[in-house]
Amino acid sequence: MVGFIFRRLLWMVATLWVVFTLSFFLMRAVPGGPYSSERVLEPEIEATIRREYNLDKPPYEQYWLKLTAVVSGDLGASTKIRAPVNRIVAEGLPVSAALGLLALAIAFAIGLPAGIVSAVSRGTPADIALMSVATIGIALPNFVVAGFAIIIFVFWFELLPAAGWGSLEQLVLPAFCLGAPYAAYVARIARTGMLDVLSQDHIRTARAKGLGPLSVVLRHALPTAMLPVVSFLGPAVAGIMTGSPVVEQIFAIPGLGWHFVQSAINRDYPMAMGLVLLYTALLYTMNLLVDLSYGLLDPRVEWE
Amino acid sequence: MSPRIAAALGLAALGLLGIVWVVVQGQLPPAEYTFNNDGEIESLDPAVVTGQPAGRIIEAVFEGLVRLGPKDREPRPGIAESWELSEDGLTYTFKLRKDAVWSNGEPCNAQDFVYSMRRFLDPLTLAEYAYQAWYLKNAKRYSRAARGVEVGDLVEVELHEQPDGALEYARGIVLRGKLVRVETDEGVSEDDLADAAQFADHRTFVVEVDGQENRFRIGEAAAATADSRACRQLLLDFSEVGFTAPDDHTIVMELETPTPYWLQLVGFYPLWPVNQTCVETYGKLAWTEAENIVTNGPFTLEFRRIRDRMRLRKFADYWDADDVHVESIDALAVESLTTQFNLYETGKCDYITKVSPLTARELLKVDPPREDFYPAPQFGTYFYSMNVTRPPLDDVRVRRALRLAIDRTEIIATAGSVEQPARSFTPPGIPGYDPPECRDTDTEEARRLLAEAGFPGGEGFPRIEILYNFEEQHQTVAELVRKQWRRVLGIDVSTRNEEWQTYLSSTRQLKFDVARRAWIGDYLDPNTFLDLFLSYGENNQTGWGDPEYDEIIEAAKYESDPTARLAMLRRAEEILMDKGPLIPLFYYATRYLVRPHVKGFYYNVQDTHPLRYIRIERSEGGRRKAEGGTTASDAQASPARYSAFRLPPAAFATQGASPW
Repeated sequence: MVGFIFRRLLWMVATLWVVFTLSFFLMRAVPGGPYSSERVLEPEIEATIRREYNLDKPPYEQYWLKLTAVVSGDLGASTKIRAPVNRIVAEGLPVSAALGLLALAIAFAIGLPAGIVSAVSRGTPADIALMSVATIGIALPNFVVAGFAIIIFVFWFELLPAAGWGSLEQLVLPAFCLGAPYAAYVARIARTGMLDVLSQDHIRTARAKGLGPLSVVLRHALPTAMLPVVSFLGPAVAGIMTGSPVVEQIFAIPGLGWHFVQSAINRDYPMAMGLVLLYTALLYTMNLLVDLSYGLLDPRVEWE
Repeated sequence: MSPRIAAALGLAALGLLGIVWVVVQGQLPPAEYTFNNDGEIESLDPAVVTGQPAGRIIEAVFEGLVRLGPKDREPRPGIAESWELSEDGLTYTFKLRKDAVWSNGEPCNAQDFVYSMRRFLDPLTLAEYAYQAWYLKNAKRYSRAARGVEVGDLVEVELHEQPDGALEYARGIVLRGKLVRVETDEGVSEDDLADAAQFADHRTFVVEVDGQENRFRIGEAAAATADSRACRQLLLDFSEVGFTAPDDHTIVMELETPTPYWLQLVGFYPLWPVNQTCVETYGKLAWTEAENIVTNGPFTLEFRRIRDRMRLRKFADYWDADDVHVESIDALAVESLTTQFNLYETGKCDYITKVSPLTARELLKVDPPREDFYPAPQFGTYFYSMNVTRPPLDDVRVRRALRLAIDRTEIIATAGSVEQPARSFTPPGIPGYDPPECRDTDTEEARRLLAEAGFPGGEGFPRIEILYNFEEQHQTVAELVRKQWRRVLGIDVSTRNEEWQTYLSSTRQLKFDVARRAWIGDYLDPNTFLDLFLSYGENNQTGWGDPEYDEIIEAAKYESDPTARLAMLRRAEEILMDKGPLIPLFYYATRYLVRPHVKGFYYNVQDTHPLRYIRIERSEGGRRKAEGGTTASDAQASPARYSAFRLPPAAFATQGASPW
């Protein structure tokens, strides 16, 4: 297992390097730069700005300087918000993580029971109703869900705050809107997994031995049925992270998501680079954790 | 319970605890006055920022010699308690008050202003607004560093080495002397020598310091050669700039030309002082952080949470603290117009800077009319500019025809909400200036002019393209203009949208036929609009130039009679509206919402509402009349009102949706 983790970490470093290189050159291939503004700058000022961000040096030298800085953990300072990228990440990441975690929790808390219930009561109106809702949930983008949720919970029933950050109440709607489409996915995947398991021999044996339906489903079927759901965790984290800019924008959550989009639009090279690398590392780590958890859930899996 | 389930439950509990912990970190008691500041600001350094959101905060935490009033934007005493203007209109003498202090306890005196002005003009500071101070004698030359000096000038040479005992981020050692000669390198082409961007790369500067000739190369330490030293930069000696402090409580400013709006600029935040100790201790970026920053204004920065909010607190030692009526202020950083509107409607915000055009339209229909919504003209113009370097737009008749074919009412009805049609470049609202207007829609005349230019009925007219940066409103406007030109003139028009940065570089390089543009005035004077279209104006970006126009604008600078000056500018604008390369479409309008209990808040064309003068008066019965302000009304801000207020769902359609 240690060897497996070590190998995967080596690959992660390689992936990060490739991502770094690609983003570095792609960023410079688009027109504009961090110094572009609506007014034309004096040549002295423009030259100084270019020097400050090393833009006056040849690309390979810029590349090398940036690479060594990044490796030593210095992501530089954002050009748009004049603060170190490290600080912006340190402030925004916990917020994004809290939002993402809650969204995931909601997705699983709603999706898993819904999937199991609909698998167990397959073909009944309850199954059809649950799966129809899930299909709609997958089809609706989170900003549409957000619009409706705000009208209903903020303006009609006045239960929740419209936006902002600083209380759990304020986190409920954004986490729900971010998690809702994933709850739908989880429900569908859990249902398929469950149906698959329920038709297997060991379940029939369990039933034949006279175990109650609850015990059969929860103790004997669930762990195996969870496998596809767990493997969905990797893409779900990716989706929740990339989906969060919109939700963060709508609910004014000071997370990292919006920086991710905005830095590209602003040609904020240090910020964009920092976030691309951070997201790469996060996604890679999530996938690694998912792979590791297979071994815990399914004894047949071996790490190689 | 199996260990596996226990572990899973433990993990889940840990995760939830983490969420709660992060949220608890974010909890805050509400501030007395909360407003939305449109987004995260770039910096709190008065010298480097340019945007209005940053300006709102800087004007609250810093203070210049004068500050501008909340209603008429008239100069009021700030750190200066009084000032005098010489007969010839060229010299201002400011007397500074003695009780002004910085938030670290240091007195705020004339030396701080000299330090800050030098820093502001220094090209290494990267002050985009530096040109706002170029009305000062020799200020422009100082800003141009080595390009601004001539042989025989007194110059200052900043070395890379630091003086002994200097703070970490202080300037290097400065040598002063006379520039004796400038030697250009051999074997460098004329073109390279003339290129402003590499000006310093090919020259050696010989400066006489204390009777000795010294040779300097500008650049990194590596720029030194066998017989010359490297220096960080070479500038005109700052003592040559018209900004001096004869004593600790006097500032004398000498101007290049009489500038009637100079005090407006002195009251504009880029020219405000910063604290030398603070800047030199923490350096460029870190000095503006909440734990380091030293300020001299009515408020101090308590903390800044990126993309969430900034909290300001009243500064107890401010010289006029008795007249500051708000204890704490929250400036939210919400970008989405819909989100800020939702926050306002649910009572979480006292003032939002604008609502979306869609919401504005709905708000206008509300019956009875809302007392907190007051759209009015603003100091900005939305216009189309034509690239006169591309035929047939070089033909003035074609430009006139295109201008006459525009139906502004239709554009506003479809793409706008509360804006007013514009037929001049300078918006109305400048005291004593009545902007000359171009002719309104005249389709007959437009067709006649086009025929006269050789394109009867649009025949033979090459296809032209409208360039705009991607935003829904710009797109709608572009499509309408295209339709109108096709309908009236029968010409073939296409549209192209570009992302903001790409659009900027396209317009700058004149890679367009017709482009969407907008201009917001910096100070209340027609000059802030009209000098844009000087033939050598950096922001002209149309290739248009008219000698008479240039001449009038230049001559107006030296005219000391205000009425005559405005008449000259009016004449210039007439030329612009007749022959010029632009089609004004509409003037921007304010679309803010402000609660009735916010007092000291007034409408003005610059849509600026200084925090310094805000008062909160929540009257219980809600019957007190406020004085003056546009929001003067019976304060009936009961929660019931907001819940009773309904908008159709479209108004809540989330802003974030558009780019996705």
